Amino acid sequence: MGRVIAMRVLGSVGAVFGATVLAFMIMRVLPGNPARLILGPLATSQAVTALNHHIGLDQPLYTQYWRYISDFFQGNWGYSYSDGASVRKLIGERAPATIELALFSFVITMLAAVGLALLSTYRHRPITDRIVRGASYLGFGTPPFFLALLLLIVFFSTLHILPGPEGRLGVQAAAPAAVTRMYTIDALLAGELGTFWEALKHLILPGLALGISSFSFLVRLLRANLLEVSREPFITVARGKGLRRWTAFRRHALPNAFLPTLTAGGLVLGEFLAGSVLIERVFNWPGVGSLVFDAIVKQDYAIVQTFILLSAVMFVLVNLAVDLLYAVIDPRVRIPTVATA
Amino acid sequence: MDELALSVRNLSTVYDTGGSVVHAVRDVSFDLRRTERLGVVGESGSGKSALALSILGLIEPPGRVVEGEIVLGGRDISKLSDRQLGAVRGKEIALVLQDPSSALDPVKTIGSQIVEALTVHEPDLRRAAVRRRAAELLREVDISQAERRLDDYPHQYSGGMRQRVAIAIAIANNPRVLIADEPTTALDVTTQAQVLALLDRLVDEHRTAVILITHNLGIVSDFCDSVAVMYAGRFVETSGVDHIFVAPTHPYSEALLKCVPNPERLAEGPLPAISGFPPDLSQLPSGCSFAPRCPVGRDLPQCHEQAPVPHRVSGPAGEASVECHFAEQRIREVAV
Repeated sequence: MGRVIAMRVLGSVGAVFGATVLAFMIMRVLPGNPARLILGPLATSQAVTALNHHIGLDQPLYTQYWRYISDFFQGNWGYSYSDGASVRKLIGERAPATIELALFSFVITMLAAVGLALLSTYRHRPITDRIVRGASYLGFGTPPFFLALLLLIVFFSTLHILPGPEGRLGVQAAAPAAVTRMYTIDALLAGELGTFWEALKHLILPGLALGISSFSFLVRLLRANLLEVSREPFITVARGKGLRRWTAFRRHALPNAFLPTLTAGGLVLGEFLAGSVLIERVFNWPGVGSLVFDAIVKQDYAIVQTFILLSAVMFVLVNLAVDLLYAVIDPRVRIPTVATA
Repeated sequence: MDELALSVRNLSTVYDTGGSVVHAVRDVSFDLRRTERLGVVGESGSGKSALALSILGLIEPPGRVVEGEIVLGGRDISKLSDRQLGAVRGKEIALVLQDPSSALDPVKTIGSQIVEALTVHEPDLRRAAVRRRAAELLREVDISQAERRLDDYPHQYSGGMRQRVAIAIAIANNPRVLIADEPTTALDVTTQAQVLALLDRLVDEHRTAVILITHNLGIVSDFCDSVAVMYAGRFVETSGVDHIFVAPTHPYSEALLKCVPNPERLAEGPLPAISGFPPDLSQLPSGCSFAPRCPVGRDLPQCHEQAPVPHRVSGPAGEASVECHFAEQRIREVAV
């Protein structure tokens, strides 16, 4: 087990290293000189050289790289060139919105995937199964931003039952007292049910749009796992003991089918947390994704660069956590096989 | 005659596989007396496992039992609901499967899987008592340090030990009837003998009737009192165990016996095989289903057109019921 953990951690460190090298190299390969960009087209070449020296761009690459990652891991992410605030502050302000959306979307995605996978496998009803599989195909084939627009047209402009692209709360609503800065949780903590309901309604459409393709992936995976596991002899044995159908399914098929899904769930959560630039844009969601979208438009490199690296690290960390969790709950990983005759 | 433990009448099971209907079990009837050990032999795909699952009511869609009566301890269980059957399964009739590596849930402890077999029928038992009983069961199937090994997971057990656990689960509630579907096929020869000896001792002690499904006639001769030869979903020959080895009457039984390696016949050349393949169970011939492969009836119109009914015959080693037009003729030839 110690070995397993060591291998996983080492793998994660390697992945983060690869991501940093990649992000670093991309920034160096891109055309354009940052100093020139900062100083503008009218600056003298002496001024550009001086600034290059000042920000270290005349140093050898490995020195630059070292400074780059040590700054990154110290949380020293530089300053936004467009509004002068520190990148850490900007991202910090936006992160709760993104995290709230990611967690919400993750929860509904997982629930829907588990529910529908169960529905399509538990009773052998070919029709239900076909509908679920068809839905998952659609989810696979539809680009999330397109689905986002579709959802807005249907639920906001036609049916008027859910709020439009106005961010996390309606214009009249005030944000609840900041504790976690996730509005739904803060609203509950403050006992403001109205605000909670308002925040929840604003989460639904972006949550659906963000989750749809991952949902399709998860439901297919879980369905296949469930089908495979429910044909295992140990399910027959469990039924042979006298267990009811559902009990045998719940106690023996579900845990076994769920284990491989855990890894996939980790990937999905990592993806959600890394944020969706386009979904946030469509819904005017004031999260990190919107910040990055604006930064790309304004060529605000410090923000973009930090975001790329940050999402890579986040992704790796979530998956490391899943791997470790896996090692804890799967006895075949946790306990080595003992050769016994 | 001993009281009946199980009586199966006209049991038929089919699988609807989109368009074609596979007849896995066709009109099977038999009686199992208390403490009797019936061996069911036949090739792969002859419907042996489907028979086992049909008796337990564990046929899953697209399969279904279309007809039949299954009387267990005086009660017809074939019409019971799943909930009612749950009280019967594991309590009065239990199952041991072929492959011990997949018969146990890999993510649950051995102990919890044995405990489950007990608590499902007696939910009020106290934890400590159930655990003690589970440890006793492990000891009963010769697993040392039983108390400690309850907390192990299946992957920490060897194949033979896992099969012992499967047997412990099956006998946990002292069932009337035990159905063992190829219980030793996946094990190596030494382990096979141990597991069989264990099974032998336990069913003897508990006075359990056994249906042993196997394709190994050697096991049948060692273990069983009676034997049913299954072909294309039907019992084509049913008799006491001696009859089948002395005077196999159905041409299929005879062919099956010739396929058993025998040191005395080594000189006669390579082991014979039954030519041809078992019939497609979705397109059964109208006559005798063995006719296309049968050395006796291959060219006889009667065998291809008319399905044989069971004939009761009496041979040198007891009575038999044989589904062959030539049963009487053949038994006379053997008796001479």
